[in-house]
Amino acid sequence: MARKEVKSEITGSVWKIVKQPGDGVGEEDALMILESMKMEIPVLAEANGTLVELTVKEGEPVTEGQLLAVLDV
Amino acid sequence: MSWKPEAEELELRRRYADGLGGPEAVATHHSKGRLTVRERIAGLCDPASFQEVGKLTGKGAYVDGKLAGVVPAPYVMGLARIDGRPVAIGGEDFTVRGGTSWGSDRRKGGQGGFVEDLAHEYRIPLVNLIDGAGGSVTSAARRGHTVFPGVHGFERSVQLMGEVPVVCAVMGTAAGGPAGRAILAHWSVMVKDTSQVFAAGPPVVERSLGQKLTKEELGGAHVAVDMAGTIDNAARDEADCFAMIRRYLSYMPANVWELPPVAATDDPPDRREEALLDIVPRERRQPYNMRKLVGMVVDRDSTFEIQPTFGRAIITMLARMNGKVVGVIANNPMVNGGAMDVKAARKQTHFLQLCDTFHIPIIFLVDVPGFMVGLQAEQAATLREGMKSVYAALQATVPMLTVVIRKCYGMAGMGTTDKNGLDFKIAWPSAEWGSLPVEGGVAAAYRREIESAPDPQKRLQELEAELRAYASPLLTAEAFAVEDVIDPRETRAYLCRFIDAMQGRLATTVGVKLRAGVPP
Repeated sequence: MARKEVKSEITGSVWKIVKQPGDGVGEEDALMILESMKMEIPVLAEANGTLVELTVKEGEPVTEGQLLAVLDV
Repeated sequence: MSWKPEAEELELRRRYADGLGGPEAVATHHSKGRLTVRERIAGLCDPASFQEVGKLTGKGAYVDGKLAGVVPAPYVMGLARIDGRPVAIGGEDFTVRGGTSWGSDRRKGGQGGFVEDLAHEYRIPLVNLIDGAGGSVTSAARRGHTVFPGVHGFERSVQLMGEVPVVCAVMGTAAGGPAGRAILAHWSVMVKDTSQVFAAGPPVVERSLGQKLTKEELGGAHVAVDMAGTIDNAARDEADCFAMIRRYLSYMPANVWELPPVAATDDPPDRREEALLDIVPRERRQPYNMRKLVGMVVDRDSTFEIQPTFGRAIITMLARMNGKVVGVIANNPMVNGGAMDVKAARKQTHFLQLCDTFHIPIIFLVDVPGFMVGLQAEQAATLREGMKSVYAALQATVPMLTVVIRKCYGMAGMGTTDKNGLDFKIAWPSAEWGSLPVEGGVAAAYRREIESAPDPQKRLQELEAELRAYASPLLTAEAFAVEDVIDPRETRAYLCRFIDAMQGRLATTVGVKLRAGVPP
């Protein structure tokens, strides 16, 4: 198992959290949905694993490169 | 009496040249995961196609008037073939004095020099395999004076940008002149982990600014390709780098007086992809995969993406339609909702001018809500860089075809049309356009009416709904303000017809593109 950091590729805000810590995730599963420029942008898991930690809350603004979540893969 | 002794000495001198900087220097170079310049040329070009020029250059050592050895000049160059087509190719030899410049009567290459003159005179592509750190302060001690910056030759490097395809590959650590040379390219590439590029390396940075950084932290692919766009693409290793160079050149003509080669294809031009009908979600806030969309429209497996990790709000690809080379510029709704930020604008400008220079027609697949907004975007001069990309589009004379997939708004939207040509715009049923999107636009235009309404929020929604009723692209098509609305499945066939039909015209407008004026 290895830790994998999930970072935001865009500037916007957290619109909806989809997965909670402890949830299993599959590759390409949406962990959360960000809102940027009036668009809903899903943040996808890059690999199968478990969501260990969320570092943002719904409604919180995020910047490009900001840590959003940590996965165990 | 024959000339056999001289012929034998020539052979001996060539063997010294093949030995590069000697077995020890070559072993050290290999231990860093890097190939020598001769291995690189052999790995990139068609087998046995390299005709070296200037193999005798170097510094001979003589004992009692007899040749005892030659330290070759740290630059190897000549004529070769890639996929059967001639190229001028050269690169620094890092195993000889780190590939630093070397005093000779005539430069071999690097910045100008014979190899660049060859590309210019014969109008063939130039490939630079860069692996050198540029000038060294030791040259002042050798010469007895300091040299004025720059060498004759850079003016040739600039001239070539309007004449023949120039590819620069950063194969090692490039600083100073070689780093600058790397930028003067139509397309540039570097190798992950084993190559770095910067104006100056870690010792100079630490002395100047006190920043302690490794070479990789300062100028590895993550910085130079992903963050800065200084170099266009990153290769996994040197073999991957050679494959990418061959692929890139396959889309390019030999020079601007010719058209790009047409490839045979068994992909029917009228192929209909059913999946195109539902790739764009009806919910306007949901994005979709634009790369997948492009892949379904162009010839199968024909894409080569330029700058895939930089300015990701725009996707720029070379591709083929019924075998003919096209440049695809597509907005990426997954990044900034497709809004053009400063990096995307810079990327679009360069790609557009590349296509214009080499007479490669452009297909715009449009989904752009406008320029990126917000404080960060304004601080980054998005408006100015965005208008530069609009300027480049309005100055270009290569034919462009516009397909509006979803949003086409504002000045960024205007920059996706062929204003100097047919101004031919087709749209999918999901298309919408205007000077700015209804959301936001309504609040600004009807502010007084909304504020004085008993229920301002309700009035805002009513006004938005009223205006959206006019938004159908079919109403614009009735007025012939957009030339056609098509079934998404017809996209490939429709575009292929026009790409095929414009080939004759393209042949009548080859040559150097002169661009007058001062871009903003």
